[in-house]
Amino acid sequence: MRRGRSLPYVFLGPTLGILIVLALVPTIYAINISLQNRTLSAPNADYVWFANYLALFSDARFLNALWVSFKWEIISVTATMVTGLAIGIAMFEAASPRMRNILCVLFIIPVLLPRVCAAFVWKFAFHPLYGALTWPVRELTGITPDILSTPLGALLAVAFVDVWQWGLFFAVIILKLLESLPPQPLEAARIDRATRFEIHRFVTLPMLKAPLISLLLVKAIESLRSFDLVYVMTRGGPGISTETLDMYAYSQGFIEAGKISYASSMAVIMMVLTIVTFTFTWKRLNR
Amino acid sequence: MAIVECRAIRKVYGALEVMRDFDLKVDDHEFVVFLGPSGCGKSTMLRMIAGLEEISGGELLIGGARMNDRDPGDRGIAMVFQNYALYPHMSVRENITFGLERSGVGKAAIDDRLVPVVEALGLGVYLARKPAELSGGQQQRVAIARAMIKTPEVFLFDEPLSNLDAKLRGSLRVEIARLHRDLKTTSIYVTHDQLEAMTLADRIVLMKDGRIEQMGTPEEIYQAPATVFAAGFIGTPNMNFLQLQLTEEWLGDNLVKFAAPGGIRQGEVTVGIRPGSFRVSEEAQAFRGTVERNEFHGETRLISLKNERHEINISVPAHIRPAIGEVLGVEVASSDIHVFDPGTGLRLN
Repeated sequence: MRRGRSLPYVFLGPTLGILIVLALVPTIYAINISLQNRTLSAPNADYVWFANYLALFSDARFLNALWVSFKWEIISVTATMVTGLAIGIAMFEAASPRMRNILCVLFIIPVLLPRVCAAFVWKFAFHPLYGALTWPVRELTGITPDILSTPLGALLAVAFVDVWQWGLFFAVIILKLLESLPPQPLEAARIDRATRFEIHRFVTLPMLKAPLISLLLVKAIESLRSFDLVYVMTRGGPGISTETLDMYAYSQGFIEAGKISYASSMAVIMMVLTIVTFTFTWKRLNR
Repeated sequence: MAIVECRAIRKVYGALEVMRDFDLKVDDHEFVVFLGPSGCGKSTMLRMIAGLEEISGGELLIGGARMNDRDPGDRGIAMVFQNYALYPHMSVRENITFGLERSGVGKAAIDDRLVPVVEALGLGVYLARKPAELSGGQQQRVAIARAMIKTPEVFLFDEPLSNLDAKLRGSLRVEIARLHRDLKTTSIYVTHDQLEAMTLADRIVLMKDGRIEQMGTPEEIYQAPATVFAAGFIGTPNMNFLQLQLTEEWLGDNLVKFAAPGGIRQGEVTVGIRPGSFRVSEEAQAFRGTVERNEFHGETRLISLKNERHEINISVPAHIRPAIGEVLGVEVASSDIHVFDPGTGLRLN
């Protein structure tokens, strides 16, 4: 059996090697920088150890960014899953096979669009004067809605674009998952007097628990990386109401102050929080 | 418990008509088996009774009420599927009680009803397990328990034993027969296995191409098959068929001569004789042929005899051991000869 032992390492080796170079080295470098007082404007730096971290917790803008990131994560993941499930189940129940194919193609198009394009398209649609969405509102009511300039409206508008891209795509995946289920348990449930809603509530969705959890985690990870969407649509505004952690770290590190060590300490905190949260969620959901 | 009535039921898929004028009345307490080769429409018929398949025409009545447009849950039926169709994420207990919970039966009442069902099927130790942790036979037992606990008017079985191995199939078949004896619920059972049909059925409905070929008790169908198809489908080993001439005193041709059964029109006929009806004897002249094949089946031996035109299989006690190539003579009582019209395939005697 000695011969078989080395095979896993042969397959894992190259992947692990690339991961170490691409992920581990920058991570260690970032942790190292976060313990210094390096800025982009000065060539030298000293170790200040945990001063950056301590400063973060009295930085109101950082705490706001943490809260915005948390809200963003909850809103975008929940809305995407609910939309995906609702539309997926609706297609499964009501659409003919031909109709399903047409809808699936249409629903995949948004996610194929690069984030930045989608963000620009919708930013324009929300424009108070030229927007395709605001125009009918203005014609009907006479007021000029500027959704992106109100704190709540801006967050919801960005979430809407996220759901438009991912919720519809998830609907397609969920429809395909439903179609892949064996039909007999569903028939048995009909004979057991379950209503259409109850069949999904008690039979199909529990049967799809594992893939749905995977989808949820994929979306949660994807939502963490929505820098480009937020950056194009609101730049964190109005004010700091849509400024997520990565937006704030970016502006501290590159745009406003060039405090690269300070920004790195934020990145490290974000990484730790993410690892803890995801490990916890993964274990919890897979129980 | 209820009477199931099918009145001129029809089924079409697009332009294709797969079933026409299906008339059947299943009496209270009766155990009816739909038997037929695959694709004969027996499962489709059962699924129409269950409400899982739309009825294109005609009327379905259960307990006197029209069922055509009712949901499967409101027909008073319970069904056992070929691949068990258990809910994989639920425990055995939850699988069994799911239907009662959906119909709004109280917790205490569910517990009361669960006990005898679990006991009858010997599922006590498995209640907390998931279906994937059970063998096929145990899974099908859970499916039967799930159907039983609802105390339905009618039990529907869709090839429930086809996925099990031969030995388990035998024991579960006996169990289904015992349950029916105790519960006496009207049952409709679909199978392609004639042994299951013969042993379980009060009445067999033999189907072919969406039509009822013959209906009757297992004995009636075995002893007096109405058509060539019924004769060939029922009985193992298969019946022998010969194309012969019928005259006033004999049935045969220049090689074969059987005593003619009386009261039938003369001329060209199809003759069916079961392998077990032949008697081997030295002086027999009815059919003489050389032994082509000799298969040992345990208590009996299946021998093929061949002459210049015909080949027949005969079943003889195992102690008769003819050599290959040996010439044997056999004869048949005229009461064991089934005569059919070669054109229509209908029985003549």
